[in-house]
Amino acid sequence: MTARITIKGLNKSFATPVLKQLALQVAPGSIHGLVGENGAGKSTLINIICGLLAADSASLTLDGRAYHPTSRTDSLAEGLALASQELSLIETLSIEENILLSSFPQNAVSIDRRAVRQQAKVLMEIVGLRNIPPQTQLAHLSLAEKQLVELAKALSMPADRIKLLILDEPTSALTSSQADQVHKIIKQRAKSGLSVIYVSHRLDDVLCVCDTVSVLRDGVIQLTAASNSLTSNDLIREMSGEELLQHSGDEPRETGDLRLGIEQLSSADFPEPISLQCHAREIIGIAGLAGAGRSELLHAIYGLAADRQGRVVLNRSGANVLIDSANTAAKNGMALIAEDRKSQGIFSGKSISFNTTVAGLGKLSGNLGAIIPKREQRVSEELISRLKVKCEGTLQSIDRLSGGNQQKVLIARWLQSESDVWLLDEPTRGVDAGSKFAIHEQLRKLRDQGATMIIVSSELEELTALCDRILVLSNKKAVAIFKRGQWSKEKLLAAAFSEHKGERALAG
Amino acid sequence: MFGKLSLLFEEFLIFIALLLLMLFFGLMTENFFTLGTLRTISTQLPALTVVTIGMTLVLISGGIDLSVGSIVALSSGVIGIAFTVFELPLPVAAILGILAGGCAGLINGFLGSYLRLPVFIVTLGMLEAGRGMAYLVTDSQTVYIGASIQALSLPISGIGVSASFLISLGLVVLAQYVLTRTVYGRYLIAIGTNEQAAKISGIRTEPYLMWVLVMSGLLAGLGGLMNAAYLGASDPNAATGLELSAIAAAVIGGTSLMGGRGSIVGAFIGVLIISVLQNGLAQMGVSEPVKRLITGLVIILAVLIDRWRGRQV
Repeated sequence: MTARITIKGLNKSFATPVLKQLALQVAPGSIHGLVGENGAGKSTLINIICGLLAADSASLTLDGRAYHPTSRTDSLAEGLALASQELSLIETLSIEENILLSSFPQNAVSIDRRAVRQQAKVLMEIVGLRNIPPQTQLAHLSLAEKQLVELAKALSMPADRIKLLILDEPTSALTSSQADQVHKIIKQRAKSGLSVIYVSHRLDDVLCVCDTVSVLRDGVIQLTAASNSLTSNDLIREMSGEELLQHSGDEPRETGDLRLGIEQLSSADFPEPISLQCHAREIIGIAGLAGAGRSELLHAIYGLAADRQGRVVLNRSGANVLIDSANTAAKNGMALIAEDRKSQGIFSGKSISFNTTVAGLGKLSGNLGAIIPKREQRVSEELISRLKVKCEGTLQSIDRLSGGNQQKVLIARWLQSESDVWLLDEPTRGVDAGSKFAIHEQLRKLRDQGATMIIVSSELEELTALCDRILVLSNKKAVAIFKRGQWSKEKLLAAAFSEHKGERALAG
Repeated sequence: MFGKLSLLFEEFLIFIALLLLMLFFGLMTENFFTLGTLRTISTQLPALTVVTIGMTLVLISGGIDLSVGSIVALSSGVIGIAFTVFELPLPVAAILGILAGGCAGLINGFLGSYLRLPVFIVTLGMLEAGRGMAYLVTDSQTVYIGASIQALSLPISGIGVSASFLISLGLVVLAQYVLTRTVYGRYLIAIGTNEQAAKISGIRTEPYLMWVLVMSGLLAGLGGLMNAAYLGASDPNAATGLELSAIAAAVIGGTSLMGGRGSIVGAFIGVLIISVLQNGLAQMGVSEPVKRLITGLVIILAVLIDRWRGRQV
């Protein structure tokens, strides 16, 4: 029997290779699970299959015919349905309009509203959205309901045309009974010949709904096996890899006095309060899966969250300062380097010097707030050479720098404003190996000089190499904290997955 | 050095465009290079110049101020009534007019920054409301003020240009200094480039976004004084559509409507280009409709060149 989709020799690199010689095959009528840590390459793979990204090299066949989509329109025409993790829905349209957006039933001149209502109702019934009128605006729905609408949208393609259904975290916001309903539909559809790729962090779900499971790590499929021969511990072991951790045997280091007290902090994004004590000369890591609330926690510590509850108290040379806004945080020596450099870090189109000095301009200006250009130039040149930023000079535009060098400029920005409490969100994402090493060295140096750091990273190696303690978040809750020497990659991953598993076990 | 030079280079390019335009009109008309043209331009110019300074600052911060034309009319109405009906001394009346503009700007700024309403809509509302207030203040009549105020816009003997013109020139220099050399200016550019990054850098964005609109209101108030001086009267219909000329001048001068990039000197050259174009075309005997057509094309051309230049960087 010809496979529904066959992928061979798939390579894709961004700054570094993401997928390496990847091969995957899905049989007709099979539900194929795909699991892996953050950054393993799952989303990249899905985007390539759907034509949203171009592979560097690949051979794809769909039902035995060569298949090389260059856009989502192509893959839709070929019968690929996708329910994506970042919901593809439009908030201002109604449920029914969202469901049928890619194929509105039309009469001679306009949208056939009756057909829309009728078809949408059938699909809503299937996914279990029974008590909501189809004309409700999407913005009024809960995340779980939106997720069901997304699924209904994916299923809106006529059953005889749909060949492959890709589900990316389809149940992450659903209750147990809603998820069961979704699984029932998928199994039914698979029986009548539909192939499904099912991506999820809920390992128990994957094992129960899929026929076959593949584990993706570092851009390579590590294992493909029948799901009834696997346990979730097998999956975690394969995802984490067997290589030994660099610094796992290190003795715990001496840390200094209490610097930052986070007391019962919560926000709209993570309702359950989190407390944490951070000391001078200490690096604390925050681990967790994508969407676990790591960045949100960092922003809340820095005073930047909606509905922020609890207290963050900074001890600055003996005096306690209550951190209630980003402005107080920055004024008192706290630094935040956000995950998305482009939208939250750099000032695009501006010079390296502008980007370096913006947080500490007060120190560069004379009376009446006039900036002294010579002083600005001297300070930024000094920092640029200290951090070994590769550039043509401090007046070069920051956009011309590589990701790693941009990140160094952001570190320079906060060095210039003399920060000693650092909140770093994915400090080496998209950074080449050389710069990564240099950034790690710089962070260790800062720590030894007495700084306190909280680092969010999706790379466990990065955390285990740098941190004294690692706090694990799972599903927006703090689930465990490990000291240096107590952790293993397996334990960290198990904790990161725990709330996803726990929720299902509790409900099911 | 590269960045700094390229900034100067951009302004230099616009300046060259201005010179070419003047050369063109010099060759095409007989009387372009005369004192008369200079006088016409220098009396018309000051009001648009000061309003454009405010507009450019607002645009750089990532906002827009559509209410400046109406604020000019409101301010000149306040000045006319204060001087003629309440018989206040002219300097006091002038200050009242400028403050009226500042108040309108304060309302714009407060609603836009602290209440987070879109400034486009807020200032659009003020465009209507300000014009309405200008009519109410003047009872929809042109208020004749007379020679005392006109002194401001008449050429000073021995210099050849008016006090208004000198004031506006001084403000161009001052505002350029504030923009490029002070923390305030640097923060405006930072906020206009990336508001979120600015917040994370510890910049409290609200006061900056409010004060830039207050500044624009005050400058439009000053524009009202200059307009009244030029007319010798307060006309409630004055400066209709001035906001669009100010935006056009700023854009011709290299200011980005997306915020974060712009120059006051560039915008001033933009003002000069617009008025040279208007006067030159008039002297060539081009009809009003064709004049407007050409002005429109020049604005679009300026944005095209800007886009092309943006790709080069």
